[in-house]
Amino acid sequence: MKIGLEIHVQLPTRSKMFCACPTDGVAPNSAICPTCLGMPGARPSLNRSALEMGLRLAKLFDCRIPERTWFSRKTYFYPDLAKHFQVTQYDNPVGEHGVFDFRGKPIRIRRVHLEEDPGRIKRVGRQGEEMSLVDYNRSGIPLVEIVTEPDLSNPAEARQFLTDMLTEIRHTIGLSDENEQSVRVDCNISVGVERVEVKNVTGLRNMERALKYEVVRQTKMLRSKKTVVRETRRFDEERKVTLPARKKEFEEDYGYIGEPDLGVYNIRAIAESLDEKETPLTRAKRLCEEYGMTEGISRQLINTSMDLCDLFEDMAAAAGTKASLYLVTDVISSNWSRIKGILDEDLRSEIIEVARRYSDGSVNDLEARRLLRALFSDEEEDTGSTAKGDPALLEAAVEKAVSANPGIFDDYAKNEKAANRLIGDVINSTKGAFSSQEIVLKVKERLERGP
Amino acid sequence: MSSPISMSRIRDLNDEYGMFYSLGDGEGLDGSRFHFSAKDNLTTKDHPTTAGSKILSGYRPPFDAAAVESLREAGGVLLGKTSMDEFGFGTFSVNSAFEVPLNPYDRERSCGGSSGGAACAAALIDGHLALGVSTGGSISCPAAFCGVFGFTPTYGRVSRHGLLDYGNSLDKIGMLSADCATIAELFPIIAGADERDPTSCGHPPIGECRIPDSVGIPAESVKGLPAALRESFDEAVTTIKDDMGIEVKTLDMPMFHYAQPAYYIIATSEASTNLARYGGMRYGARGKELGQHFDRYFTAVRSENFGAEVKRRILLGTFTRMVGLRDRYYLKALQVRQAVIEEYRRAYKEVDAVLTPTMPFIAPRFDEVADMSALEIYLADHLTIPPNLSGMPHLNIPCGYVDGMPVGMQLVADHWDEGCLLQAGMEWGRLFGHVKPEVKI
Repeated sequence: MKIGLEIHVQLPTRSKMFCACPTDGVAPNSAICPTCLGMPGARPSLNRSALEMGLRLAKLFDCRIPERTWFSRKTYFYPDLAKHFQVTQYDNPVGEHGVFDFRGKPIRIRRVHLEEDPGRIKRVGRQGEEMSLVDYNRSGIPLVEIVTEPDLSNPAEARQFLTDMLTEIRHTIGLSDENEQSVRVDCNISVGVERVEVKNVTGLRNMERALKYEVVRQTKMLRSKKTVVRETRRFDEERKVTLPARKKEFEEDYGYIGEPDLGVYNIRAIAESLDEKETPLTRAKRLCEEYGMTEGISRQLINTSMDLCDLFEDMAAAAGTKASLYLVTDVISSNWSRIKGILDEDLRSEIIEVARRYSDGSVNDLEARRLLRALFSDEEEDTGSTAKGDPALLEAAVEKAVSANPGIFDDYAKNEKAANRLIGDVINSTKGAFSSQEIVLKVKERLERGP
Repeated sequence: MSSPISMSRIRDLNDEYGMFYSLGDGEGLDGSRFHFSAKDNLTTKDHPTTAGSKILSGYRPPFDAAAVESLREAGGVLLGKTSMDEFGFGTFSVNSAFEVPLNPYDRERSCGGSSGGAACAAALIDGHLALGVSTGGSISCPAAFCGVFGFTPTYGRVSRHGLLDYGNSLDKIGMLSADCATIAELFPIIAGADERDPTSCGHPPIGECRIPDSVGIPAESVKGLPAALRESFDEAVTTIKDDMGIEVKTLDMPMFHYAQPAYYIIATSEASTNLARYGGMRYGARGKELGQHFDRYFTAVRSENFGAEVKRRILLGTFTRMVGLRDRYYLKALQVRQAVIEEYRRAYKEVDAVLTPTMPFIAPRFDEVADMSALEIYLADHLTIPPNLSGMPHLNIPCGYVDGMPVGMQLVADHWDEGCLLQAGMEWGRLFGHVKPEVKI
């Protein structure tokens, strides 16, 4: 069995691919202009950040990046396509002949190209009186299309592959979960000789279902000595079956020509100037090797956030792997959604400080967790007078307790256990900012010094 | 600069000659710096814009074309929109869904095309500047037939923002006027880079004004020219040599022969995609039956509202970019374009500019036009196509009269070297005995 995928992902640019319209228009036809409506006389100008994202992905898949690239017109008539041609890439796309290392198995990438999304058709009205309306907000939103060779061997593998690939893509171009849900896939699958294409399947789950359905359908046909014909099908999401698509819709001759309104772009130089960050999957692998964590934990970390991985590595450098890993996988990852919003340099160093004290035994695990929780959960107090871990504050709290307990020095001289009174007061007034061990030490030191 | 001309006079002229598709009320004309018109394929907020096609009837664009906008900002008053062949597809301005402009020197004859209305307005309205558009000769041809200067700048010199596309890699916005000095003065206003058209270019600046030291005449360009036109052209060449002191050489430019087929392939390939957008959905003509399948709807609207020549070019252009034919036609044509550019470059090592007649005949009568086959008409462009295909700036210079009808010659310079053309045109204007058309109103 051979499966190849054509993956379409919306690029998370702020403006559209060829005009300045925003990409987050909500009310129908609220983010439109003469260019993305295909009005006569309006023309495109390329959004550089879309080009850069395309190049980042071409680099991610180790593609051959040509010296120069350009755009082409793919002409077909469809009501959601404003100009009745789509600006896409045909010759010299941003990347060709790449590869994706899927858990040790190389999946070849045939090409990576950029194109514009068409608008969206909505059917409205009561049954029998339906009509179609077109929303052009999506018209001109940049897409990247990634085409693999037929190197995948079953539907589950295809899904895992795409999950991994999306992890890498998400980090490389800053894709949000929302963009990720709108991933559209054309699946090519052959069980025997002839391949069948299932067009325009939305999301990972539907893709796996469509592929599974095709495996069963094609296998049955082959068993009963029928021939699988080469054709284009579509996936019916509700009935979860694939159906033959109207031939006319997908098998036209698109008559590609160069897009004469846009220039030729020297992309090799641009591609070389783009910095390469470590990708999530490479990092997961490194985390396992460097810190001896399991693959499951490394994936949990990268899937939560690359920022969490950064924090972990900083903690590990200061406080060792074991303590840091314990705190990160426990209290930190479960509070991550809150932490990521407030993680500044101060908080980062406070977290690292807690890890350090936990690792040298000055606080125990329960106290470390409590200290950390206090850092995340009560921002008001965090930034107030009782900033955590400041020895001057502990000193002040001890002094305050001393003045509140006249005669404590005499009592202490008689019985050392009198120190407990002060210790109790300081613990209460510092609300967990310091470990009991620190407080005990400080109080005893103060009492030894005398009034 | 603006000569005192009244709107009522312009309206009278338009009634007789039909050069305007849409004529304004001339508000602001008195005391204005200059007046101008725009070919009807340039968008205007205050006039409908149809490019001579029924499929855009009633269309009012939401923005002004860059060239129109610039001229208005410079104090020009837009008189109206000039008639043209539908989408620029033609040589005689007869392929229009609307009125056909009549030649200022003989109303039985064509103005040429496709900027026919523009040339007619330039010839008849004193001090007027007409914005024209050329893809394969649509400025030179009508300028020659109407006896005016017709200037086509280097491809990319003028922003195409607001131009209804014919062939985007060939379309150039230019100027027509009875006086070359008017063009030279106003051209810098519309020239330069515009971020709304990424192919527009601000650099290099318009060349220093000097007339060429030498011109070359390709031997191919005068072959088969009718005797009277040949005589008129030779006379002009003598003036150039003797009175302007320009050295004249003969050149061999065999690529001229291939320019024409390459041009028609590129132009129609691009046109067939540009015209795909006209389907009766968001602007222009509407279909009657909204409930049918979209394929049928588009087919119905397009069959009903496109003229015959438009359909012919869509078919041609769709054919030449089909799978299996694309390599043989479209890609080959792109190579030929490069070869033509290189041939011009070789010529410019020997001479400063290339000179040819503009059209192989004088403006034909409408009954003669009706008898011409599509192929005969296409072949009439064989001298205006090479500079257009290569994106070289060129200027039609009125150079004589045959049977009372104007004859033009075409001067072609290297990319970005418009300055030498305009200087030569102005110099020529001082020597040439211009004959104004007689108007009986």
